[in-house]
Amino acid sequence: MASPGLDRELKKGSAELLILSLVEDRPRHGYDIGQLIELRSRGALRFNVASLYPLLYRLEKRGWIRGRWVEKAGQRRRRYYRLTPAGKKVLASQRDGWLEFVEAIGRITGIQYA
Amino acid sequence: MPDWKAEVKARLAGLSLAPAREMEIADELTQHLEDEYEQALSRGVSEDEAERAVLADLKVPNLLARELKRVERPVLQNPVAMGTQAKSNVIGDLGQDLRYGLRILAKNRAFTAIAVLALALGIGANSAIFSVVNAILLRPLPYKNPEQLVMVWENATHLGFPKNTPSPANFLDWRQQTTVFQGIAAFAERSFNLTGAGEPERLDGRRVSANFFDVLGVRTIIGRTFVPQEDQPGTKVVLLNENLWKRRFGGDPSVIGRAVTLNNEAYTVVGVVPNSVRLPAFGKWRDQVWVPIAFPAEESASRGDHFLEVIARLKPNVTLAQARAEMETIAARLAHQYPQYNARVGAAVNPLHEEIVGDMKVALWILLGAVAFVLLIACANVANLLLARAAVRQKEIALRLALGADRVRLTKQLLVESVMLSLLGGVVGLGLAYAGLQVLTRFIPPDLVHADMIAIDGKVLVFTLLIALVTGLIFGLAPASQASHFNLSETLKEGGRDSGAGARGKRLRSSLVIAEVAVSVVLLIGAGLLINSFMHLRNLDPGFRADHLLALSLNLSEVKYPDTARRTAFFDEVVRRVQPLPGVQSVAVAGNLPFTYNGDSMSIAVEGIPDPPPDQWPDVIYRAIGPGYFSTMGIPLVRGREFTDGDTLDTTRGVVIGEKTAKHYWPNQDPIGKRLKPGARSDNETPWRTVIGVVKDVRQNDFIAEPKMQMYFSYKQVGQLVANALIVRTSVDPLSLAMPVRNAIWSVDKDQPVANIDSMENIVAGAVARQRFSMLLLANFAALALVLAAVGIYGVMSYTVAQQTREIGIRIALGAKRGDVLKMTVKQAIKLVGLGLAIGLPSAFILTRVMSTLLFGISATDPITFLGISLAVLAVALLASYIPALRATKVDPMIALRAQ
Repeated sequence: MASPGLDRELKKGSAELLILSLVEDRPRHGYDIGQLIELRSRGALRFNVASLYPLLYRLEKRGWIRGRWVEKAGQRRRRYYRLTPAGKKVLASQRDGWLEFVEAIGRITGIQYA
Repeated sequence: MPDWKAEVKARLAGLSLAPAREMEIADELTQHLEDEYEQALSRGVSEDEAERAVLADLKVPNLLARELKRVERPVLQNPVAMGTQAKSNVIGDLGQDLRYGLRILAKNRAFTAIAVLALALGIGANSAIFSVVNAILLRPLPYKNPEQLVMVWENATHLGFPKNTPSPANFLDWRQQTTVFQGIAAFAERSFNLTGAGEPERLDGRRVSANFFDVLGVRTIIGRTFVPQEDQPGTKVVLLNENLWKRRFGGDPSVIGRAVTLNNEAYTVVGVVPNSVRLPAFGKWRDQVWVPIAFPAEESASRGDHFLEVIARLKPNVTLAQARAEMETIAARLAHQYPQYNARVGAAVNPLHEEIVGDMKVALWILLGAVAFVLLIACANVANLLLARAAVRQKEIALRLALGADRVRLTKQLLVESVMLSLLGGVVGLGLAYAGLQVLTRFIPPDLVHADMIAIDGKVLVFTLLIALVTGLIFGLAPASQASHFNLSETLKEGGRDSGAGARGKRLRSSLVIAEVAVSVVLLIGAGLLINSFMHLRNLDPGFRADHLLALSLNLSEVKYPDTARRTAFFDEVVRRVQPLPGVQSVAVAGNLPFTYNGDSMSIAVEGIPDPPPDQWPDVIYRAIGPGYFSTMGIPLVRGREFTDGDTLDTTRGVVIGEKTAKHYWPNQDPIGKRLKPGARSDNETPWRTVIGVVKDVRQNDFIAEPKMQMYFSYKQVGQLVANALIVRTSVDPLSLAMPVRNAIWSVDKDQPVANIDSMENIVAGAVARQRFSMLLLANFAALALVLAAVGIYGVMSYTVAQQTREIGIRIALGAKRGDVLKMTVKQAIKLVGLGLAIGLPSAFILTRVMSTLLFGISATDPITFLGISLAVLAVALLASYIPALRATKVDPMIALRAQ
C-alpha cells in the first residue's frame, strides 16, 4: 500500500479520472467501483467509503455521471452510476491531460514506462 | 448483523440534509457496508473482526461529514418532502402545491378534460345569467340619482286598471298640489312622419313636458333641452335622438337651429339627446324625437282622456311611502272634487327601475337560482370524479402519510388541486358564457329597456372568479375530507383494494347521487311548469287568426290629410291597389292592432239603461277600423254585419260590439239596433251609434288577461284621425308581400311612411316574449341539469357496480341468477333515486311557489307536472344504473373472483 501522503495527492488528481473510466463501458454501483479500483491497482489504491461516495455525488452533481436505483432479480436494490454524454467529453479531455502530465513527469525524472 | 444504517445515520446527522436525500445517501452507504461485511465474512473472518474492519472506514472522525459537506447542500429551512411539515411557509407551500397540482392535472388529461367541461358548463351558465341580471337588475339606470325617479299612475283598480294613464287635467292638478317631488313631468307617445331629404320615415317619439329632461337629469349632447316657454301650443321645436342625428344628419353639429319636416310641418332642432334615454314603452317603441307636450286648451281641461305617462323625481329626503301617502291624499281630494271622473281613483307611485324591470325581476332571480342548481350538480359530478380518483391515488396518499405528511397540509394540497380545476373551468366557462349570450340576447323581450347593456364586464369577471373559487372549495371538500379521515392501517389491510369503497366513501357517493337527483327534480319541475304554462299561452285564442296576416303602420299626416273625406280617399285608393296584388286574399284598414298599443278606452252611455254611479262607469276599448276588417283578421261575426263602404258620415253611425259588451248591457236580448254613445250621455255633440254587429272578443292589449269590453267604429264615420294601420290576409308567406304592398302605398303617396311591417304571428309572439324568454332559458338549464345528473348517476352507479364485481362473481358462482343480481343492483339505484325524490319533491313544492307569478293556466303545484317529472327522473336513473348492472352480470365469475 502506498504511503498516506502519496495516496492522498495521487487520488486528488486522479480519482475523478479513475471513476469516470470505470463507468465508461457500463453502469456500476459504488461498492463495485471501490472494489475495482482496489483490484486493478492491485491494492495500491483504495477508496474509503467516506471519500468514495462524496466523490460520486460531486461527479453526479456536475452532470458527468448519473446514478439510478436499480432492482435486479435476486439482488439487492443498488444505485448504479453511468457516464453521461457530458462525462464522456470530460473523460476524454482528462485522459489527454493525464497522459501529457505523465509524459512530462517522465521526461523530467527519467522514469520510463515498463 | 450490525445496524449499519444507524452507524451511517449518526454520521449524517449534523449535515441537516433534506430528509429524502439523507435517506438516499444512508441507503447507498449501508448497502456498501453490508457488501463489505459480507465479503469479509466470506473470506472466513470472524464476525467481530469483519465488523471492526468495515467500521474502520468510518473511523476517521468527521471525514464522511466533511467530504459530504463539500458536495451536498444543507436545507436551510425545514425539510421539503411534500406535506411533511406541520407549520410551514404558506406562500412556499402554495407554490409547491400549485406546481404539483399542475403536474397531476396534466398527467390525467381525460379526467381533467371531463371535470373542466362539467365545471365550465355550470360556471358558464352562471356567468351568462349573471351578465343579464347585472345589466338589467343591478346596474343603475343611466340617469342622475336614478333611485329618486318614480312613475306616477292613476289607480283605477276597480275598473281593472291599477296603473291607468293619467288624464291631463289630473296631471296638472297633481303638479300644482304636490310637495314631495323636485319635479314632475308628463309624456305621451306620438309618432311622426319625417319627410324631405331621403326616404320618408316614420319615427317613434314623445310629447314631453318642458322639464322632462331636467327630471331625468339628462344633458343634451349638443344644443339644449326645452325651456318652459316652449311648452305652449304652436311652438315647433324638436329634440333628436343621438342615433337619428348620426343616421339622418351625419352627426353634424350645425343641425341645431335647422328646420326638419315632421308631419308636414317645419320643426326647429334645438338639441340632441343621448341614446341612453330609454323609457318603458309598449312593444318595439323606440323614441327618436321629442317635442314639447304643449297641451291645447281642450286637452288640459280633459279629465276623461287618459293617455299620459308621468315621471317624477323625489325630493332628497322624501321616502317612497311619503310620496305615496301625499299622492293618495291629492287623489282623494280630486275624487271628491270631480266624482264624475275621479271617484274611487287613487294614485300609484312606483320606482322607475321597478317599472322597467317588471316581472323580469322574478324571472331573472329564478334563473339565477336555477343556474346555481346546475352548478351544484356539476360540483357533485366533479366531486364524484375526484372521489373515484382519490381511490386510485390511495397509494400515493398512504405513502405520504406514512412518511409523516400531516393531514392538514395534505388536505390543503387536495383543495389547491380542485380549485385549480374550477379556475380552469371558470376560464372555459367564460368562453361558453360569451357564446351563450350571443344566442340569449336574441330572445330578450324587445320592451326590456337596457337589455343592450348585457355584456361580460368587470363585475361579471369578478363574479365568475368568485364562484369558481367557491365551487372548487365545495367539490374539493368531499375528497379532501375523506383524505383527512384516511385510515392508514386499514388501507394496508385491504391490500390495495379501494378503501374509498369503504363505508365512508360509499356514504359520501350515495349522498352526492341523492343530492343530484333532488336538485335536478326541483329544476325540472320548475322548467316543466314554465313550459306547460307557455303551452297554455300559445294555445290561448287571441280572438283572431294570426297566420297569413301581414300588418303595417300607416300614420297619416294631419296636415296633409286633415279631414275624414281625404283620409277615406287615401285609404280607399290604397285598398284598391293592394287588393289585386298576387297572393293577397283581402285587405282592410285598421286602427291600433292587437298587442301594439296599450290604450284607447272610454266610458259609454247606453240608451234605455240609466248610468251607473260614476265610480262604476264601464271602460270600453275602442278601435276605428275599415270595411272588411273582421273577415280579414278572422274575427268571427256572431250577429249582424260588418261595416261596408256604405257606412259613411252621411249615413247612420254604426258600432260593432264585442260579445262581452253585448252580454253586459243586453244579457238576454238581441243588441242589434240598440244605441249607445261613446263618452258622456249629456254630450250633445257626440251622436248616438246603432249596434250593427256583434263579434267575438279579441285580446287587445294584454295576451294573458281575459279580454275586456270592446267596440269598433268605422274610421269613415269618425271625425278624428284614428285609423293607422293596414292588414293584409295572404295566401302566401305574408312577409313576402311586404315590398309589393309598400310599393302600392307609395304609388298612392310617395311621401307616406310605412313602418312596423311584420307578420301578425310575430306580433303575437312578441306579446309573449317575456314568457318565452324565461321558459326557453329555464327549460335549457333544466335539460342541462338532467344531462349532468344522468351522467353523474351513471358514473356513480357504474363505479359502485365495478366495486362489487367480486361480490357479484361470488354470488353467480354460488348459483345466484343473473336476474337476481340485476335486481339487486337496480334496487340500490332506486333507493338512492327514491331518497332524492323524497327530498326534491317537497323542495320543489316550496320553491316553485316563488314562480307562481310567472305561471299561466297552471298551478305551481300542478300534480301532473310533479308526477311526470318524477317518473322521468326515475326512468333516467334506472337506465343509468341498468346499463352498468347488465354489464356486471355478464362478467365471467372466474374473472370476477380474480379481480382484486
